[in-house]
Amino acid sequence: MTTFLVVLRHVTQAAFLIAGITVLVFVLVRVVPGDVVDVLAIEGGLTEDQAQLMRRELGLTVSWFDQFRAWCIGALQGDFGESLRFRVPALDLVWQAIPVTLQLAAASLLFGFVLAVVVVLCATLWPRSVFVSIVDILNIWSIAVPTFCAGLIAILVFSLWLGWLPVIGNVLIPVIILGIDAAGQIVKPLHEEMKELGTAAYVRTARAKGIHPLRIIAFHVLPSAAPVLLAMTGLIAASFIGGALTMEVLFGLPGVGSLTFNAINGRDYPLIQAVVLFLAVSVILINFATDLAQRLIDPRPEH
Amino acid sequence: MTSLLEVQNLGISFPGPAGPVRAVDNMTWTLGAGGTLGIVGESGSGKSLTGLALLGLLPGAARVDDGSRVLFRGRDLLRLPEPEMRMLRGGTLAIIFQEPMACLHPLLSVGRQVREAVRRHAGLTGTKAWAQVEVLFAEVGLPQPDRIGRRYPHELSGGQQQRVMIAMALAGNPEVLIADEPTTALDTTVQAQILDLLRSLQQRRGLAMVFISHDLAVVASMAHQVAVMRKGRIVEAGPTGHVLSAPKNDYARMLVASRQSLYKPPRPPHANSVADHRVLELDGLQVDYRGRGLLAPPVRAVDGVSVSLSRGRTLGLVGESGSGKSTIAKAIVGLVKPSRGDVRLLGRSFCAQGWRIPRAMRCQCQIVFQNPYGALNPRLTIEQSLTEPFATLSLSPPGGIRSRITAGLDEVGLEADLLPRYPHQLSGGQRQRVCIARALMCEPAILICDEIVSALDAHVQLQVLQLLKALQQSRQLSLLFIGHDLEVIRFIADDVAIMRSGTIVEHGAVDRVMADPQHTYSRTLIAAAPRLAA
Repeated sequence: MTTFLVVLRHVTQAAFLIAGITVLVFVLVRVVPGDVVDVLAIEGGLTEDQAQLMRRELGLTVSWFDQFRAWCIGALQGDFGESLRFRVPALDLVWQAIPVTLQLAAASLLFGFVLAVVVVLCATLWPRSVFVSIVDILNIWSIAVPTFCAGLIAILVFSLWLGWLPVIGNVLIPVIILGIDAAGQIVKPLHEEMKELGTAAYVRTARAKGIHPLRIIAFHVLPSAAPVLLAMTGLIAASFIGGALTMEVLFGLPGVGSLTFNAINGRDYPLIQAVVLFLAVSVILINFATDLAQRLIDPRPEH
Repeated sequence: MTSLLEVQNLGISFPGPAGPVRAVDNMTWTLGAGGTLGIVGESGSGKSLTGLALLGLLPGAARVDDGSRVLFRGRDLLRLPEPEMRMLRGGTLAIIFQEPMACLHPLLSVGRQVREAVRRHAGLTGTKAWAQVEVLFAEVGLPQPDRIGRRYPHELSGGQQQRVMIAMALAGNPEVLIADEPTTALDTTVQAQILDLLRSLQQRRGLAMVFISHDLAVVASMAHQVAVMRKGRIVEAGPTGHVLSAPKNDYARMLVASRQSLYKPPRPPHANSVADHRVLELDGLQVDYRGRGLLAPPVRAVDGVSVSLSRGRTLGLVGESGSGKSTIAKAIVGLVKPSRGDVRLLGRSFCAQGWRIPRAMRCQCQIVFQNPYGALNPRLTIEQSLTEPFATLSLSPPGGIRSRITAGLDEVGLEADLLPRYPHQLSGGQRQRVCIARALMCEPAILICDEIVSALDAHVQLQVLQLLKALQQSRQLSLLFIGHDLEVIRFIADDVAIMRSGTIVEHGAVDRVMADPQHTYSRTLIAAAPRLAA
């Protein structure tokens, strides 16, 4: 019963959220000066008449409201319009880009997650060890070093100077950089939570049972910290789906990030709308999954 | 009796800003096989640290003196290598704590938590481990031992949770059980059951027990030997009968006396009480809380309660947790909205006013809560806390707020130099006095006391109760005193109402009800209350 209500609440919220985002993005992309024809005009040297004709062909001359209505009617039928630039259905472009992004996001997240958990476990188990410093270093790194910056340096060092890895299509460096970034965001709150939970009465009970400290931290403290871990991981996953943008562009990976970048650069309205809609749905799904996972871990009813 | 556990010169200190703080000082005692040592003391006396020290569970900052020794069968536990100590912990030496809810892992089923101890110390795995868990559950008297293991701590009652903790302690077949306030957080009848269980386990298994408690009566009923602790030192020790009947140390004598003086309250005839002047009347009060989930039925917390309170008298409301007594208090001050019935304060009906209580009425009825730590804002000075009622109720006392506050503090026996201090700089008793002073600021006719002495030590408890009595005399105050400790109620109240599952099962003059309870539940409750022989 309660689970059903939770699902219902999520679905309703999601519907409103998607509607809102759609309207917002629709307006925003059109408020920005210049449209796809301007971009093409600069590239291809169109005359004013040709440009005007092109705008009419692409349906950019009718009012925003009519454009929006037409787009909504299409979207509800699964037709998200045609990319103004590539002249293929926008959705097809998104579908092609998804696997690349998913692979990158999943690999980075897995690497970051494992790195964070291992470092935090060690830091909790040996509170005076170097692992506590590693927690801080990772955390400060993720705050202070933007991923594109680390990416550029990595290209310089590993691709240009050492020549170990190719620049274009290389996945290893982005995964490591994004993973470290993710780990840096997870470690600090997780470590604080673990330290806090370490003083809980039930941890004392576990010690009183004569359980080995490693087992206590892994099987008693870590599960209690799972809500924090999950929430952080969910947030980062959501940001990776769209936010791996710089990495994808930098390393020439044809994922959703690159697609977004190109779409915005080319003022490709339908493509931007399709991509943003995809991102919105992904974020909502990730949030939903996180919430559901929290519920599965914690048997207690909501307070 | 051969000695099983011997503590010699145990000293524990914590580093402090002004040198180490002694928490336990020069403690020495012995415990024979199958015997019970009771350690009694008030909060902060070092009794719980002693228990933790025996198992090597002291917090990281604690330092044990070099000359200290804890000998178990001749081996010094303080110098045992950690892996060996881990084998003893939860094995030969087991411990149970207070507040079992907090001591059980909230995300693991209770069966798994006990199984962990079984695997660790009995070396059993798989179905054999589960079978042993079932045996233990049956031994500690849990219902449906084959099924209850799948439940989570929050699905069990407080008594059942403590039984699980005891089962966990028994998993390693211990020789010594350290029980640190094992029944403090439990209701009276449940406390009696858990104490019975501990006694029978001790008999059956020949357990030696270290029983730590602040409650003299409970210790008296459990221990053969008793040690009274104060500020880290044992001030008196000996056979329980001796120590409690003829304490030699001043502090021990005061501790015993403050408990015993509850039994024989000076009860002057209520010359000044006007029996027919009813200040508070509850008429068929019913309070429902919303159930969990959208379609869940509401939970009835209070079910048709009718009582009245006259000027200058005290009504005691007794019952176990969840019986609805605090809900009644909340309904009277308008914190919850009743679904039926009426509350009449000084003859004015709340129901007729749509449960909107006018400010002038709020002044007439004030409430003091159980936990004085939580009831005072930690960021406000005592003066700011005491000034608040004047601001919220827009009162301006004659002579100014400042002089009223000083007079109010004086009335509850506190000095005006507390005013600039913050709550954490005050003791529990002082804090509760501040709460009472705050409640009295707007000159109420009725004071509702919701378990206000439950969190206080025995002799502080007595002082606060005596203060309440004096205030009642001088102010013609009517008290609604909510509590679970029958001795406290007997001391303070004129009439008592015993509550169970939202209804009053028995109501009458306190002496009559205590001496001759009519209802079965009243009898159970009164019989279960631990008493110190006078």
